[in-house]
Amino acid sequence: MPEIINTYNLLNGMTVIGIEVPAVQSAAFEFMVPAGAAVTPDGCCGAPSVIEDWVFRGAGGKSSRELSDIMDGMGLHRGSSVDSKHITFAAAMQAENLSKAIDLYADIILRPALDAQQFEYSKQLALQGLMSLDDDPRTKIKLMLREHFYPDPLGRNTVGKQEDLQNLNAEKCAQICNENFRISDCILAAAGKINFHKLCDQAERLFANHKSGMTHTISHNKKTLGYHHYPYEGAQVHIGLMTNSITPDNPQYYDARVAVAILSGGMSSRLFTEVREKRGLVYAVGASYHSLKEMAGIGCYAGTTPEKAQETYDVIIAEFRKLADGIAEDELARAKTGLQSAIVMQSESTIARSGAAGTDYYMLGKVRTLDEVKQSIEKVTTKSVIDYLKDNPFENFCSVTIGPNEIKAI
Amino acid sequence: MEFKHKKLTNGLDIIGELNRDAQSAAVGFFVRTGARDETDDINGVSHYLEHMLFKGTDKISAFDVNLRFDELGAQYNAHTTEENTVFYSATLPEQIYKAIELWCQMMRPALRDDDFNMEKNVILEEIAMYKDLPQFDVLETCRNLHFGVHPCGKSVLGSVESIKALTSSQMRGYFESRYVPNNITACIAGNFDFEQTCSLIEKGCGSWKSGPADRKLEFFNGTAKKESHTKKNLNCKHICLMSPTVSYQDERAYAATLLAKIIGDDNGSRFFWALIDTAIAESASMHCQAMDGVGAFYTYIRASSENGDKALAIVADIFKTIKNNKITAEELQKAKNKVLSGITINNEIPMGRLLELGVNWVYLGKYRPVEEEIALINKVTTDDLHQIAQEFPLEHFTQFSLGPE
Repeated sequence: MPEIINTYNLLNGMTVIGIEVPAVQSAAFEFMVPAGAAVTPDGCCGAPSVIEDWVFRGAGGKSSRELSDIMDGMGLHRGSSVDSKHITFAAAMQAENLSKAIDLYADIILRPALDAQQFEYSKQLALQGLMSLDDDPRTKIKLMLREHFYPDPLGRNTVGKQEDLQNLNAEKCAQICNENFRISDCILAAAGKINFHKLCDQAERLFANHKSGMTHTISHNKKTLGYHHYPYEGAQVHIGLMTNSITPDNPQYYDARVAVAILSGGMSSRLFTEVREKRGLVYAVGASYHSLKEMAGIGCYAGTTPEKAQETYDVIIAEFRKLADGIAEDELARAKTGLQSAIVMQSESTIARSGAAGTDYYMLGKVRTLDEVKQSIEKVTTKSVIDYLKDNPFENFCSVTIGPNEIKAI
Repeated sequence: MEFKHKKLTNGLDIIGELNRDAQSAAVGFFVRTGARDETDDINGVSHYLEHMLFKGTDKISAFDVNLRFDELGAQYNAHTTEENTVFYSATLPEQIYKAIELWCQMMRPALRDDDFNMEKNVILEEIAMYKDLPQFDVLETCRNLHFGVHPCGKSVLGSVESIKALTSSQMRGYFESRYVPNNITACIAGNFDFEQTCSLIEKGCGSWKSGPADRKLEFFNGTAKKESHTKKNLNCKHICLMSPTVSYQDERAYAATLLAKIIGDDNGSRFFWALIDTAIAESASMHCQAMDGVGAFYTYIRASSENGDKALAIVADIFKTIKNNKITAEELQKAKNKVLSGITINNEIPMGRLLELGVNWVYLGKYRPVEEEIALINKVTTDDLHQIAQEFPLEHFTQFSLGPE
């Protein structure tokens, strides 16, 4: 039985998406609040990661312990994250608890206590999170790469900057919260064993009376891509690179996705074969597509011991560039099959499905059906991928390394 | 859900759980072998061998293995632990049979010298990668310290020295002794046909000769040693604590899991309120690893170097007082709710169910339906938890910490 996708807009503009998945017992939702790193005022880098923790420290007249007890009483699996544009609150549960969970998240999003004493704890945790990033070069390089690739404020570090975090106070953060938690621009996407009409009624009751503020417009300049090295006395040189791509609303979007899959889909893909299998240069190498609403990139990560770093980098760049020289029909077919089957398998997870639906709506203003995605991938040909590569050649790269030695980057 | 089982005459078990509503099917080959089954001179061979299975057979090259999986649109991988090596893939239902055929062939690898030598570089890179992950490094070193002479203390990856010294003939010897059919379980979950699956596996694996693949099981209480190291590139203090608990075969394993959740779940646990809510530590968690004939509680704490000792003192106090500061019925119920909803979410995906199904069979030699799992969790009482805490005093822990110079 195919899934049923519904979308509904409350009068104030907030979007509710429901995906009814047959034959599951769970439900999951994702609440995207437009308060990400790029829309934070200058000098407050890291505020969203403080807020993400702070709003759980009491809301709707309940203490932080009471909130936690209710969530644990439902056995809620929860997570929250910060990206360029949003703070996302996600949860998965047995389906019968969905309505109660959404009531609770309405309190957290609409009526956080924002207590000044609790703020200090959230700030301390954010500072510690920043500090621990230095002990995890693989995670750090992804943040650094986006920061250097995307123009400010789009690529702004989601974990924060030490000086900015130190200077943050409860008053300033509460103000950011008030301005950026605009319900009109929120997206609530739920998937699983759900009743969409009930979900909309509940959203209407909880959120419709909450007004909207002004939507942020972000201006950014074009950025020159370069090479950045962070010295680190580790066992490996961690290499990250990123080159320009196109956003999901572009007609060539699936050509770009297939191009990335040819480079780095399965283990027969070009990067894995050339860098790991034939040369034994790395354990981990992989390319991936990343997009914001305004612009997108194709990134790549590899970790290798210092003496192999230059060769690893050179082989990766050569493989990126070689792609436009020609693609075999059989590797195109594998890339397409891999993408199509991954999409079906991901849809089995209610958590992944609700997340993908929310992101789709934000990027495209609609949720793509699984069939639509599969058909769009099916239409991709070797010619259309080559055309995409000609229109968007892999010429310029942003390169970042973290490790004991620098490399000669292009 | 419908369960099926067939044992081949050479001892290979085939188990399957059918879910006609699933959009995919997952298959796994569970080999009951890991670091604990190695001798010191070949430490790391189980994991290295796991890599080598992807290098193909006498008839299939390494590239062709990858090619064939990718043609099926499969998501596939493998992992090695102290006691299991597991190979698995998920595909759309119509592709599962080709994946099964491929795995059957791969389970009899060529182990070519050229491939062996090239893959050695990849293994050494993997060791280097984990050295840059202190969160992993501290757990691995603590396990070694905790288990002392017990085989579960062996490193899964091995050391740079042991891997460099390892020869392909040593690997062949290990393979022949451990990859016997009576030491392997083929497990399938999701939307598939059991009869068709069995005939493929019988055709592919039915001629393999069985042989002894014993493992000496011995409970171990841990050394309770304490060590602290520094590393100049670190920023935070990473602390791992380990203490003994029940084995996987012990019926109290669920009680031990729930006890660890009450003390050290990411949210709403005793660690959470004492360490995270107060911002003393950035991360603090505890989990139970019930293993073959032995078990251990693991605690991991990450804090600033100034707060490290304070966090450790708080954890030690939580451990010491767990007997007096009684676990309440509410605390237990919350932990149960988290575990139960986790089971629901996990089991909706064939790949998630596969691992549970296979591990249960390997350790218990029997099928445990989800309903039974749920009933076993529901029947745990606070007395059961207190009894675990009495019998396995948490405060007698092994400790390894890694911090900045």
